[in-house]
Amino acid sequence: MEQLGINYGFLIVQIVNFLIMFLILRKWAFIPIMNILEQRREAVAKGLEDARIAQEARENAEKEAEKVMADARTKAAAEARDVTQRAEEQSKEIVKAAEAKAAKAREEALAEVEQDRVRLLGDVRGQVAALSVAAAQKLIGEALDEKKQHSLIDDFFSGVKSGKVTVLEGEDVKGDTAVVTSALPLTDKEQETVKTDVLKKLGSGAEVTFRVDPNILGGLVVRVGDKVLDGSVSGQLSALRENLR
Amino acid sequence: MSQETTERKWRFGVNRWILLAVIIAGVIITGNYPPARPAILLNAEAILGTHSDPLFYFPFLNTPFYLTNTLVATVLADILVLALLFLSIRPYLNKVRKGADVVPKGLANAVEGFLEVLYNLTESTAGKWTRTIFPWFAAITLLVLVMNWMELIPGVDAVGNFDLHHYTDHYVEEQAQEMGVAVSALSADELHHLEEEAHHHYWEICSDASGNHGEGDTVLIYRANEEGTGACALAVVPWVRAVATDLNFTIGLAIVSVVMIQVIGVRSQGLAYFEKFFNVRTLFTKPFFGLIDFAVGLFEIVSELSKIISFSFRLFGNIFAGAVLLFVIGTLIPVVAQSGVLMLEFFVGMIQAIVFGMLTMVFMAQATHSHHGDEEHH
Amino acid sequence: MEAEAAKLIGAGIAMIGAIGAGLGVGMATYGGVQGIARNPDAAGAIQTNMILGIVFTEAIAIYCLVVAMLVLFVF
Repeated sequence: MEQLGINYGFLIVQIVNFLIMFLILRKWAFIPIMNILEQRREAVAKGLEDARIAQEARENAEKEAEKVMADARTKAAAEARDVTQRAEEQSKEIVKAAEAKAAKAREEALAEVEQDRVRLLGDVRGQVAALSVAAAQKLIGEALDEKKQHSLIDDFFSGVKSGKVTVLEGEDVKGDTAVVTSALPLTDKEQETVKTDVLKKLGSGAEVTFRVDPNILGGLVVRVGDKVLDGSVSGQLSALRENLR
Repeated sequence: MSQETTERKWRFGVNRWILLAVIIAGVIITGNYPPARPAILLNAEAILGTHSDPLFYFPFLNTPFYLTNTLVATVLADILVLALLFLSIRPYLNKVRKGADVVPKGLANAVEGFLEVLYNLTESTAGKWTRTIFPWFAAITLLVLVMNWMELIPGVDAVGNFDLHHYTDHYVEEQAQEMGVAVSALSADELHHLEEEAHHHYWEICSDASGNHGEGDTVLIYRANEEGTGACALAVVPWVRAVATDLNFTIGLAIVSVVMIQVIGVRSQGLAYFEKFFNVRTLFTKPFFGLIDFAVGLFEIVSELSKIISFSFRLFGNIFAGAVLLFVIGTLIPVVAQSGVLMLEFFVGMIQAIVFGMLTMVFMAQATHSHHGDEEHH
Repeated sequence: MEAEAAKLIGAGIAMIGAIGAGLGVGMATYGGVQGIARNPDAAGAIQTNMILGIVFTEAIAIYCLVVAMLVLFVF
């Protein structure tokens, strides 16, 4: 031991020295440093946790924002759809109104034209009667009773004989509406007669309209519902042609 | 930071000439005044007092106390560590504790970073016992590191007294024999006179006119002196010698370390810790293997004791060998060669410090585990 | 033979044991470095264990040193 330089006194001096140094270092260096390191570690852990929470919050916010955006988008789309629908409706209404107006205008125009035509034909009727009387006189060579002649012609055109509509005689018809077509416009009196006669057949609730069509030459064509009663001259002529063939 | 960005001017072609001049000057100086080799001695040399003539005796132990150069080094290392602690680390820690935004720089931060590495190492090994074990690890590492690196300071292990004690004793003994009286019979005056004469005689025969060492300068260790073969056994007794080259320090530290390993083992496991040494649990249930277990437990005691030896001699051997290498190289090739060895010793000193601390830490951590059977004997 | 010379020779012979420790340290480092090269992530754990292994191996060389010193200085 002595040769190795080991001296128990020195040994103990060194041990004591180290222990003193250890205690000093532990108290004033290592424990504070350990505390600081642990604090720092905690701070780092907390920072990570905070970051994680922030990340979560951000993700939530993003989700929320996305949701809000989606809501807004759907709302906007719905509104847009609404608006377009309303616009379409409006435009449709406008178009409809315009169409209705146009139709009304056309109808009015047509009615006017019809009236004009009826008036013109009504004017023509007297002349036609006079012409036909004159022609008959020329052909027959003798003067017919002018009054009788006129009533004959009237009968011819109106298809009404002694206050009765000839086509309706013995016919059984039913319907709500009746359309009476004559070759030349009927006089008000004749119209009244035809109307009362038709109404007698169909019942007072029915509706009667009058039309003028020179193509039927004379007599009346009465259409009730889907039934057509042909008392016109052209119809009789074609029936005669059928029979002669 | 901004200062670093300013370009440092490399004095191209100047530094190398300065270096060369220093080397040449070194060659000339060491040629004329060859360096004296420090004594290669296991014992720490005495600076004040001697083994036979101590300053005082330790009470109870009755061993002599004399101021040795390793004790001086120990005190110096303590002062260095305390200076580091109170001038650098404490202010830094206070600043950190106050929450000041401390810019990471300086010695304190380096120390803190170093300690943080040690702390992480401890935590990964010791777990919940970190707070108990870490101070030991850190204190041993820090202190041993400072002590080992002190070896690298110029002057340590190199500047000291010429030691003439042996020569003087030898001369006095010779003269007394010639006079036919025992040394102890000489009066104090006569002894003093003979010692003076010895010193004169020494310088007469060992110094030539140029001031160089005489013929004896190839034999520079005490041992040769004791035999009386070399007349001029010149040796430097350094004032400061690396602490770890003193077995008193390394063995003392190893004893502290091993004792604290046991203490921490007992603290963590209570008396169950001693089951490791006296394994009687299986002795009666399985007679044969139980006996083997018991014997193995007894060997654990040997293992603990051998820890002291391996701890102390590892540190001592490495640092002592390093010191010997340093001053042998320094004596043989006094100029450049020592720089390389200094680099080596830098790393050896650091590694040995860390190894001493880390082994202590690992053994302490092992002592806290209740399972036994770690077969790391050495 | 003088006792002094025998001591010096004996100390030299005692240090032959360091050959084994040197080989052992080399092998330990070899294994450690190879492990780190293969798995750099485990460098920390490998380094710690490598240093421990080196230290235990080195203990053999230290016993040699102790014996050499005992031979040189004590006996």
